[in-house]
Amino acid sequence: MKDQGVGARAQRIGGVGRVTGGQRYVADIPLADMLHAKLVTLDCAHARILSIDTSAAIALPGVHFVMTPDDLPKPMPRFGPEYQDRPVMADGETKYHGEAVAAVVADTKDIAEEAALLVKVEYEVLPAIHTLEEALAPGAELVQDPAIRRPGPHIASNILSEYRFGWGDVDAAAADADIVVENTYDWPSQTQFAIEPHGFIAAPDGDGIAVWSSIQHPYQLQKTVAKVLGIPMAKVRVFAPDPGGGFGGKQHTKLEPLVAFMAVRAGQPVRLILTLEEAFQAVRSTGARMRVRTGIKADGTLVFQDFVNEFLVGCYGDTGDRVSAKGSFLSAGPYRTPAVRIVSRAVLSHTTPTHPMRGFGIPQVTWARESNLDEAAIAAGVDRLEIRLKNLVKYGEEHVPGDTPADGDWAQTVRKAAEEIGWGTPVPPGRGRGIAIGLKSGPTTGLSYSTVRFLADCSAIVFSGTSDMGQGARTIYAQIVAEELGIPLDSVSVVMGDTAVVPYDQQTSASRSSVLMGNAVLNACRDIQRKLKARMADMEGIEEAAISVDRGVMRLPGGEEALPAVLKKVLGRMGGEIVGNGEARKDALPEHPLGGTALFFEFNCTAIEAEVDEETGETDILRHVTVGDVGLALNPIQVTGQDEGAAVMGVGLSLMEHLIWGDDGRTRNLGAIDYRIPTSLDLPRELHSFSVENGDGPGPYGVKGISEGSLLCTAPAVAAAVRDATGAVIRDLPLSPERVWRALQERP
Amino acid sequence: MQAFRYLRPSTVEEALALLEEHGDKARLLAGGTDLVIELRNRWRTPEVVIDLKGIEELRPSIRVEGGRLVISAATVMADLERDPVVAERFPALAEAAAVVGSVQIRNRATLVGNICNGSPAADTTPPLLVYGAEMVIASPKGRRRLSIDEFVLGPGKVALGPGEMVVAIELPMDRTIAAAYTRLTRRHGTDLASITLCCGVDASGTTRVAYGSVGPRAWLVVDDTGVLADPAASREAKAPVLAALFAKATPSKTSMRAGPEYRAAMLPVLGARALNTAIERLGRTA
Repeated sequence: MKDQGVGARAQRIGGVGRVTGGQRYVADIPLADMLHAKLVTLDCAHARILSIDTSAAIALPGVHFVMTPDDLPKPMPRFGPEYQDRPVMADGETKYHGEAVAAVVADTKDIAEEAALLVKVEYEVLPAIHTLEEALAPGAELVQDPAIRRPGPHIASNILSEYRFGWGDVDAAAADADIVVENTYDWPSQTQFAIEPHGFIAAPDGDGIAVWSSIQHPYQLQKTVAKVLGIPMAKVRVFAPDPGGGFGGKQHTKLEPLVAFMAVRAGQPVRLILTLEEAFQAVRSTGARMRVRTGIKADGTLVFQDFVNEFLVGCYGDTGDRVSAKGSFLSAGPYRTPAVRIVSRAVLSHTTPTHPMRGFGIPQVTWARESNLDEAAIAAGVDRLEIRLKNLVKYGEEHVPGDTPADGDWAQTVRKAAEEIGWGTPVPPGRGRGIAIGLKSGPTTGLSYSTVRFLADCSAIVFSGTSDMGQGARTIYAQIVAEELGIPLDSVSVVMGDTAVVPYDQQTSASRSSVLMGNAVLNACRDIQRKLKARMADMEGIEEAAISVDRGVMRLPGGEEALPAVLKKVLGRMGGEIVGNGEARKDALPEHPLGGTALFFEFNCTAIEAEVDEETGETDILRHVTVGDVGLALNPIQVTGQDEGAAVMGVGLSLMEHLIWGDDGRTRNLGAIDYRIPTSLDLPRELHSFSVENGDGPGPYGVKGISEGSLLCTAPAVAAAVRDATGAVIRDLPLSPERVWRALQERP
Repeated sequence: MQAFRYLRPSTVEEALALLEEHGDKARLLAGGTDLVIELRNRWRTPEVVIDLKGIEELRPSIRVEGGRLVISAATVMADLERDPVVAERFPALAEAAAVVGSVQIRNRATLVGNICNGSPAADTTPPLLVYGAEMVIASPKGRRRLSIDEFVLGPGKVALGPGEMVVAIELPMDRTIAAAYTRLTRRHGTDLASITLCCGVDASGTTRVAYGSVGPRAWLVVDDTGVLADPAASREAKAPVLAALFAKATPSKTSMRAGPEYRAAMLPVLGARALNTAIERLGRTA
């Protein structure tokens, strides 16, 4: 069984469909009588809507209706993952470029598109706040009406929320520091850029509604749609076909309530598939500015770390508060620091609503911390690897007092990365090296259920509410079931993405699914094993205690029996099946600043060797090493795939990706032409991914989540290599050729 | 996309007749890599689309005729990348064709379409300027030739009158210009260039530099002093001569692809690199 159970390099379930076009995405799902929707948007960010004239659009043959705010309940229904502030469509005012002011429903997509151009909207363009400076300026216009804000000290400002974390006394400690380095680092707003843009269908379904969405959290969508429509959750059936990438950008409800209202009005299915440009306007990640002060002793020992982190979130609360809090909580990293002070603010602006993006705010803060740590090391004349190893906490040691202590031998990971980049060996002329560490809390709360049905022919069906958006969750669960029930991998089916059939899962995020849902699946298998054991004990007339089951094999007083044989015996001629249910949870801790401790940590060390074309500023990554503490690789191919994927994404975020806003707040680079992500020609010349496996994670067989790790610290490692190669110091991203060239001109 | 009539003539004469009949309500379709995007985004809403791919005379073809290389209107970038005569005599054109879009785009996009689209950033314009290409233009009145330098006017504008179409591009083969193409992009993979640049040198010591994406059209400039083409001349001696060639550059102040200072600074960098390659190539042909 080892070739297909735990640790097997099993082929991705659904992988062939993904690369051959066989997989059905939301855009591919055929439904009878499907109508098509197109959003009506304005070519400006912030505007007051004066009137909407739909007459010309409605007159176009094939148009069923144009939905405007007048057709929605009053007051405008609002929703959101943390704040109930996002309207179903723009409510008298657009707050960002691309917010829907109306939507056309027609027989075909082409007609809907044409009609959308015929909707005449009179509007007055208003100034748009799109920078931290503007948002925080005294007397700045309030992006949000305080009436819909959660009461609090910042309600009369554009600060959505503010956190203060820390320990020790930074001001007192500062006197003990031999060297203090203070700088400001910027991380641009970026887009998650799933290759499949968001797509939605809603259709009347008996006395309820069915909703299809390319979404990471289908159960949260079910709850939101039920609430907005005012119907029981049991009357909302969410189908969540495997998304074509998510990266955080598909976590929460967006246009599904609007499409649901339109389907109800039409009495027919309505589909809305966003263009890539519209997907850019549906969601983005948070840009951030971090002011960091690091104090060290002359030998590199950390004395204090002091952070002010400001995250530029969109016009609605969305997940801005959480990204700011969770991103900043670990600002000080995996280091032993006597005094730490962290202020973190989420700041509202007239820009695209923000979701988390792979890394959940950690890459932003890591960019600042690791870069500043390098600057301190250089000022002290301490080696950049040594300063990290010197201050790194040991296994079981707390890096944040009161939180989960270090859950891995992190020095092992750092040493491996250093060894693989050849740290300490001479650097060839014109090249430079950088090394950086990323640390992220896994989920702080979680709840997953799974059902496994062991069928009469010894095949099995797994029900799991995880969204397999490319990370390979289906394969992992099938491998666990194959291992536990002692059956071949190809006789396991995994059912996902239907809230009427599959039991609840909190969400697919924070690299949680192998651990939390993995444990739920494992527990469902153990439930089956218990039932088999009880039935066998009954049939054989022996004590249950005399029987044990381990990974697909039952041990009886008379010898061993494989579980499939046991199942046949137990089911007998009547057949049937054994159903197992499993649950996994990580309970909340209300007194914890994040509402819960980390279930596990993603720990990564990335080391880069790069060369810079000093005439053009182009950076060439010659060798990129990423080492992650994964606990155990349930499927080594998938672990490497996730790690390499995150590394490549990290390269894109470091070298080329940024949203560009005009002074009017419009997003200037909508779509792939002017928002560049790396192609195969832009990858590091060599990319090496390594896993540290000590079997010490909380998931099945000791796994930890791993899907974000190698993205967390790519940027500081690349910038460090650029600095090492050229002396150019860069504190804002991306490290575009132009920016590097400019830094080279300004080199001291 | 708005509905339109799709017509597929089988001769140049039929196509010209259709152009005359439908006037500016018609658009010509070859590869479609620009037109289809314009249609889909409703930037253009022609009533008639005339597909040229059914015309025998325009079928992909790169041939030598009367001391000229004739490239037919339906010839795609991938054809240019693969052609042995282009590789040997006009390598800068092959280099430019090889970086247009992606593999899929290069299998569809035509050279003639790239020029007729009139983009200031068109990759193939600079090498065609350096090699002294001529456009062969057909109309009901007959055929005329126009140098590419006169044909390319400005953003989206070319010297094509009503009822006219380009049937081929011709490159003279009676002189040897050793040339190299390079460009500035934001990434190595598929990208639109912030600078397109071709430099050619010949045995007489003349250096021809064409550069685009830094003004309304690609410009051709010539250095007759012999300094640039001289393999023995120092970098310092060449620098001011080279810098002077880029006086016509007016890089956009508002472009988000690259700032004007950066583009201005990169012109001589790219110019010197292309010049060195061109000189090496001339040395090899000698």
